[in-house]
Amino acid sequence: MTSPPQVGQPAPRLELPTLTGERVELAGLRGRLVLVSFLRHAG
Amino acid sequence: MKVTSRKDRFDAAGATAVFVSHDEPDAVRGLMLADVNCPFPVAIDREKTAYRDWGLRSLPLPMIWLDPKVWRQYAKLLSSGERMRSSGGDQRQMGGDFVVDRDGVVAYARPQRRDDRPPVGELLKVIEAL
Repeated sequence: MTSPPQVGQPAPRLELPTLTGERVELAGLRGRLVLVSFLRHAG
Repeated sequence: MKVTSRKDRFDAAGATAVFVSHDEPDAVRGLMLADVNCPFPVAIDREKTAYRDWGLRSLPLPMIWLDPKVWRQYAKLLSSGERMRSSGGDQRQMGGDFVVDRDGVVAYARPQRRDDRPPVGELLKVIEAL
């Protein structure tokens, strides 16, 4: 399994649909600071 | 979610946030849009592709069921009149928090081990220092 990215490494790819029907792409946010927060479980 | 109430500080730092969930969209919609009115994108990753790409693991089932916090949570729900039910999601999947800088490089990495999410204040300090 892939290890989590370490500080100083390029961020892995992230491109997914959103709840509102759009797509979010991390590469498209270049130039901004981005908090990427993976949720554990909504239940 | 406390992050959602700090959008002004994200804006001031030139930052944004992306939340990712592997759960059913309806469950996430209830939590993130109806309950907390999340001002940031909430992405759905039912196949958990991004979770794998970012190295976020699933805990072995015994580690979940041997965790006293799980049983305390069930006891709390049952005592409040809730019924035992499946939420339909993968309770073994761990989350994690990462801050990516303006060049697409990871500036902070905190993959979740158990129930050890960083406080929002810690995340904001990282962001505001960049």
